[in-house]
Amino acid sequence: MPLLDIKNLTLEIDAGTERVKALDKVSLTVNEGEIRALVGESGSGKSLIVRSIIGAVPDHWTITADRLTWKGQNLMAMTQEQRRQIMRREIAVVFQDPTSSLDPSATLGDQLEESIPPEFVGSGAFWQKRKQRKEIAISLLHKVGIKDHVSCMNRYPHEIAVDISQKFMIAMALVSEPAILIADDPTRSMESTTKNQILKLLTRLNETKNLGILFVSHDLLAISSMAHTMTVLYCGQTVESGKVRHLHRRPLHPYTRALLDSAPSFQTNLPPKSKLSTLKGTIPTLQHLPIGCRLGPRCPSAKRDCVKVPELRSIQNHTYSCHFPLHMPNSGQGKAKKQNIDKVSAKQEAGQTETKLYQRMPQQASPKSALGQIIEELKGENE
Amino acid sequence: MITLLIRYLNLLTITFGVLIVFSFALAYLFPGDVLTNMSGIVPQSDAQRQALEKAYKLDQSIFSQFWHYLSNLFAGNWGVSFVSQADLLSEIKIAFPATIELTLYALLVAVFIGIPIGFIGGLNHHKPFDFGVVCYSVISYSFPVFWLALIFITIFSLQAGMFPLSGRINLLFDIPHQSGFILLDIFYSNIDNKSAAYIDAFKHLALPTLSIAIVTTAIFIRFARRSIMDVMEMGYIDAAKSRGFTTTQIFFKHGLRNALLPILPLMALQVSTLITNAMVVETIFSWPGIGSWLIQAIYQRDYPAIRMGMLVVSVFVVTLTITIEFLSRAIDPARDRFERVSV
Repeated sequence: MPLLDIKNLTLEIDAGTERVKALDKVSLTVNEGEIRALVGESGSGKSLIVRSIIGAVPDHWTITADRLTWKGQNLMAMTQEQRRQIMRREIAVVFQDPTSSLDPSATLGDQLEESIPPEFVGSGAFWQKRKQRKEIAISLLHKVGIKDHVSCMNRYPHEIAVDISQKFMIAMALVSEPAILIADDPTRSMESTTKNQILKLLTRLNETKNLGILFVSHDLLAISSMAHTMTVLYCGQTVESGKVRHLHRRPLHPYTRALLDSAPSFQTNLPPKSKLSTLKGTIPTLQHLPIGCRLGPRCPSAKRDCVKVPELRSIQNHTYSCHFPLHMPNSGQGKAKKQNIDKVSAKQEAGQTETKLYQRMPQQASPKSALGQIIEELKGENE
Repeated sequence: MITLLIRYLNLLTITFGVLIVFSFALAYLFPGDVLTNMSGIVPQSDAQRQALEKAYKLDQSIFSQFWHYLSNLFAGNWGVSFVSQADLLSEIKIAFPATIELTLYALLVAVFIGIPIGFIGGLNHHKPFDFGVVCYSVISYSFPVFWLALIFITIFSLQAGMFPLSGRINLLFDIPHQSGFILLDIFYSNIDNKSAAYIDAFKHLALPTLSIAIVTTAIFIRFARRSIMDVMEMGYIDAAKSRGFTTTQIFFKHGLRNALLPILPLMALQVSTLITNAMVVETIFSWPGIGSWLIQAIYQRDYPAIRMGMLVVSVFVVTLTITIEFLSRAIDPARDRFERVSV
């Protein structure tokens, strides 16, 4: 049984007049002892997923999900207190920015010691307990790679370097011996040497303690070096997920492909001074989400079917949601075409035209000829 | 910490110096005879005038005059009142503790009622209780203090007859003047019915304290509410939540301290408003404090009294403000502790 199992998680935000689906049917699982990477551009809703899991969501956001379970227990149906108990002992979170996640008015030692669950501290008078707390804290700091615990414990967060703060955050997360660590972009704004230290630390924890890790990041290089499986997120939709190896070798979704192509480190035969490939445009804002597959307007292989949300399909634990997956010219297309003939409505027609316009525009050299071609095409379609 | 202390002491000394220079200059700036302004005595003959000029060194340079003024100030020779010919120091010694007492109680009420209410309101942000708190604070903040005091007198003294109209204590109680603080004086006195005296003193205190405290409470409510709302949205509160602490634990371990830190310097700013309000209210309630004393002095153009009263009140305000400022610096770890090292 997976530790964390999320199926069709939808998060709706009241944005003034309308409700926006910030997360649209996201599915994600983390198994025991697995490092699952969650990848996506900034603004794709990675942190929202983390917040939904830990329950730190404002009241005016609505979460619906087919499944949001922790070890088989439904997190959504739990009371605040039950959920808090799980957060206390089993799920640990490391946030993006360590300096803002630490209380600026308390010393690091105090904050670490207060995170120690009371049941870890044996019986005794309060000074004995305090001594035990301190011992636990020091051993934890050694585990996360802080050797000079004396000078760190008495410092305030603003006095120490960001990587040491992050190690403190990890130590605080590990203190309750959790089964899963949710690391929300823990290496953001860190230089590469400190980043490597943190990544190594996480990998080692995974190996030695069988700690499940949900590693949220957009750093593909880091992910490929440590993660076992990976889920790619685009604009609040899960586009593809599977083993990192498989995704690398044969990405099925155009977005995954674009993401991998945009990282030069993965391309062995990149000629010097060649243009790096990117997807055109930017990730849409929440107010202007395209219908259907949200990659539609930017997708190099979008067709008229893309105005419908593609179903999640899976081949040997490699799931993807695309009508026209790469490397599989026949499978998706045929099915989609059949559906297309079955139900075509006027509304969809309009949507398709829009998609077509989006697709065509940037590829043509002269706008006039592009327009001509589009008119031609529309004519042909109407006939 | 020591550097910080020295810096603040330095600031305090310099401010005092400026205030003393100003009060000295007032003797020249006020209309009328410099000698009269300085000493409070109107010379009746030329011989007396010359003797006084000699005594106040007015025949010498301005620097030796100032030096003389300074030494008189520290020796306790503050001159006499122009009107009553009473010694200013002893008059101020009687009047000033009454004001401090009133201000202190009002401040305590504001701190111990305003800040908790503000916190509760901020924690229940956008709920009926919070709306009530905001509503109350806006309304009570907009009351003019003198008007509120008059309304209190009308309702509670004249109509309901629950509280006395004016003064500090009923004249029936013969409390000897010792510290100047009425509650302390009752404690030190050897009258028979102390509890009755206490009740009477509290009844006298209630209305003036309330009318000063209500405005300050409203300000503190707003500070506290805003501050706790800001703090509860911080990343470390989310982080603490994700570690599974209860709301109470989060509030007392992380919320409270961080919310109080920014309020403290703002409280220091309110001290002068508080004293000003106390002076107005004193006049209305005939509270024998420095406020009504100063206003009397102003009416009677008692320049020596105005000069010394101004000096005492401003020294008090400055000391209190700088002390609170120092304390808030000293207990806030994040605030420029390594200011001198950082580039």
